[in-house]
Amino acid sequence: MANAFTRTTLRLVSPALPGRAQDWLVRSLSQPLAQQFYGQITDQFLELLLRGMDLAFALSRDYRRNIEGFRATYVWKTRDGSLACSAVFHDGNMTVDTQARPNPDVLITFKDARALWAFLLSEDQDALDSILANTVEVEGNLNYIYKYGFLARDLSKRLGVL
Amino acid sequence: MSAVTLDDLSLRDIQLSPPLAALREAYFRAVPEVCTERPALITRFSLEAGLFQRDRITALDKARLYRRVLENRAPVLWHTRAHKRTADGLEEFTFVDSSPFAGSTTTRFKGVPIYPEFLALGLWPELWTISRRKANPYYISEDQVRTLNFDVFPHWLDHSIAELARARGGDEDRRRMQLLQKFVFFLVSKPNCISHTIPDFSRAVREGLRAVIQDAQAHRDRAGDPAKKDFYQALVEGLEGIIAYARNLAGSAAAMSNRETDPARKAALAEIAHIYRRVPEHPAESFREGLTTVWLCWTAVHLENPNVGLSLGRLDQLLWDLYRRDIEAGALTVEQAVELVGYLWLKIGDHVPTVPNAGEQLFGGSGSNQAITIGGVDAAGRDAVNDLTYVMLRATELMKLRDPNLNARYHPEVHDGAYLRRLCEANVTTGATPALHNDRAVIRALTASGHTLEQARDYGVIGCVEPGSNGRFYGHSGAILLNLPSALELALFNGRHRHFGMDAQISPESGNPLTFGSFAQFKEAFRKQLSWVMDQAVALNELFGRIHQQVYPTPILSALFEGPMEKGQDVIDGGAALNSSGIAIIGLADVADSLTALETLIYREGRIDFAGFLDALRKNYEGYDWLLTRLRDPHRTPRFGNDDSQADANAVWLVETIEESLRGKVNYRGGNYRPGYWTMTNHAGFGRLLGATPNGRKAGENFSSGITPNSGVTPFLTSALRSVAKLPPECLANGIALNLKFTPDDGDRGRMIDNFTAAVRGYFDADGDRSGGGMEIQFNVTSHRDFVEAVNDPSRYDQLLVRVSGYTAYFKDLNPEMQKEIIDRTEYRLSSGEAVLYETFPLAKGAAHG
Repeated sequence: MANAFTRTTLRLVSPALPGRAQDWLVRSLSQPLAQQFYGQITDQFLELLLRGMDLAFALSRDYRRNIEGFRATYVWKTRDGSLACSAVFHDGNMTVDTQARPNPDVLITFKDARALWAFLLSEDQDALDSILANTVEVEGNLNYIYKYGFLARDLSKRLGVL
Repeated sequence: MSAVTLDDLSLRDIQLSPPLAALREAYFRAVPEVCTERPALITRFSLEAGLFQRDRITALDKARLYRRVLENRAPVLWHTRAHKRTADGLEEFTFVDSSPFAGSTTTRFKGVPIYPEFLALGLWPELWTISRRKANPYYISEDQVRTLNFDVFPHWLDHSIAELARARGGDEDRRRMQLLQKFVFFLVSKPNCISHTIPDFSRAVREGLRAVIQDAQAHRDRAGDPAKKDFYQALVEGLEGIIAYARNLAGSAAAMSNRETDPARKAALAEIAHIYRRVPEHPAESFREGLTTVWLCWTAVHLENPNVGLSLGRLDQLLWDLYRRDIEAGALTVEQAVELVGYLWLKIGDHVPTVPNAGEQLFGGSGSNQAITIGGVDAAGRDAVNDLTYVMLRATELMKLRDPNLNARYHPEVHDGAYLRRLCEANVTTGATPALHNDRAVIRALTASGHTLEQARDYGVIGCVEPGSNGRFYGHSGAILLNLPSALELALFNGRHRHFGMDAQISPESGNPLTFGSFAQFKEAFRKQLSWVMDQAVALNELFGRIHQQVYPTPILSALFEGPMEKGQDVIDGGAALNSSGIAIIGLADVADSLTALETLIYREGRIDFAGFLDALRKNYEGYDWLLTRLRDPHRTPRFGNDDSQADANAVWLVETIEESLRGKVNYRGGNYRPGYWTMTNHAGFGRLLGATPNGRKAGENFSSGITPNSGVTPFLTSALRSVAKLPPECLANGIALNLKFTPDDGDRGRMIDNFTAAVRGYFDADGDRSGGGMEIQFNVTSHRDFVEAVNDPSRYDQLLVRVSGYTAYFKDLNPEMQKEIIDRTEYRLSSGEAVLYETFPLAKGAAHG
């Protein structure tokens, strides 16, 4: 993730740029994530997604508007416990932790990166299949998942994938 | 004037006028469009009133909110543009609207109303993609996406019914909600709506809303209890909102009329302005005014209640006096009446429910299921069929719409053959509607479940096929959709379920079937598991019901209902004259046949032991060809639907056991729980999630629909009908859907309709007065060839109407599994009553909506 200094700098600089330029920058700096959006899923999918979001929040005022006033804690973890991370939204910022925070608003347990990708981003039947096949389980407020799903797809739109 | 004076009951000389035909054509071209008016206004006024900060929201809070929304809604008179599908996506087109009915459910010609209080946030991830999804896309503009994303949805994150239930419920409730999310055992629909009911329009039509307001004010002034005073004031506020909306429409029509240069349209607009200044505030004085009152109240009811299963009731009874007066006075012709009804039908179909992609894939193709009921007997048991019954039937034939969902009542001891024959003829003409209901059996079912005889005789059909007394029965007939084979699964595996892996103990143990020495022991295990599944579903329904009571009273519906005025109580608090919750049981025939298969092969013949049978199920019958062949041969293994006493006895035991498991349960409104057997498309969705079953059904295959025997069980129509008619109506109070498919014989149409009529009469008369006869029946009358061609070339069959299991749908909108199921349903040739055999239709791999 971008460190606090970089994030602050990007936020200060980006308003001088037109919206299209902000999106172009996000696109240029998020190529590895774009590949994931095209379905070339790797184990780094979640990390890249969060990094892409972090960058977009810093660079794009319009994208940042999505999390103004939004307070929530998300925790993701793999079913086998090999990966866990948290994203905390607070005061228009997103901070990411590489461990599971306690008492999240929503906990997403997933089998593997592809299952998570299908759950969040696939337009086809995969999303449903991932729930029906028990490859993704959600505990907590489902509305937060819907919001996160929008954030992910909105980002993919900015990356020119949608 | 006699109630039936028409010389020609078919009214075949009446056709659609060119303007109505053109509007209908535009309707079929138009894709649904998301409308953000409702959610934006509701959210804005909720914020201004501080409703998001309240733990409890009263009927008065809600009524003031809706009044503001109604006062501020755009007064849309005539639509001019919509979007259609092209090879490159969605494209705008224009058309000329000519409807005599102003106002609409949304601001769009065919709109998708958004209810963020319920499950609309499920659309959030799809906002950028919903206009191009394969299954039933909705048009949405970029501005609308931004409105929903920034101005609407964020405010409801913690305030939807589902989330409030999760947050306010206990740990046990949250565990049950986890079960709900798995889709495997049941669906509980209160997070999405209650809705399923029929309002009472009679006072609005006959007295006008002003009189109802004055009544509410008088009650308010007499009431001592402050809560009751507030409730009566809520009725006033809600109805004033409807009147304000009508006045806005009248003003808009007058302004448009002044600007209009075409004399005919200028006059039409002036007429709308004139009528909308009068009704619904004042009593309707003409047939058209009566229809207008119903329509405007209907839009307001949908503003408040999600568009799922709200039904209009017995319109041919409600409007009969106005129709007759106009006809007698020479102010209306039958042709004009058909035209007006056709326009109203189109208005009623001006919206579709909000369905996210996953819902489309599992349960897609459903409209709003707005049932209208015609015919039947009156409260005194006399023939109530009238000329308007036939007018509505003809309009339905001409319009061939999915919504409204027409249902016709027939009493074997009261009605003549000509009426029944006309109903059957309409099914041949439309291919799928109306559904037919046997008054004798339905009235028996309703009186057994708490209706008085007079209330039962005045029943209307709700949603798909559910009967309830017209305007006084708050039944939420679709409260729970229960996957019956999941209870069988738990009994087979002693509280475990293959979907979750065999290590997880899902429900209490009911005994290892391998140790059972008798079929009775297995049935007892099944009964225990059924009881557990039922208890989980009912507990969740109660939780959601209490949340509705806390934050979602419905003052507009309450103002248009029998009971709340007398009791001083919202319908959500038990204010209706009659209360209930309905459970739709999915998979009856599969479980009945499974029980019979276990009984026959294990306990009677000893052909295989329980361990062997379970092994076959785990292996999806791989390596058990002999068993599969045996199970699928109805001559060797008894099946429900073949008039076999052993198989039918198990089906009867099942419906009685289910009824018994609900006896004594009282819902949060003080009503009972009623079981019914209609499945919509859930027999496909639930079937997808279950492994092989003992009746020879393989993993993932659909269950049988409604109360219908499994396909291929019997080569004879009469056997199927006799089996179903054996099921006691007293156990079926929440309605049934018996789905039959008839081959449209090429030759003699008259003889075909005669045979059709005889088959229905035989079913309704089966067992005579002893059992009441078969309760309901519905049809698809389309050739196998046409169905197959419709799969291959959907654009040529975009108006092909089908009965799914309860409601009507356009075949092209159904998911591939449902299309396959309808094609594979047993098809009977009416000339002989014998099944027509076809190869099983293949499901294309990766098939998607057209």
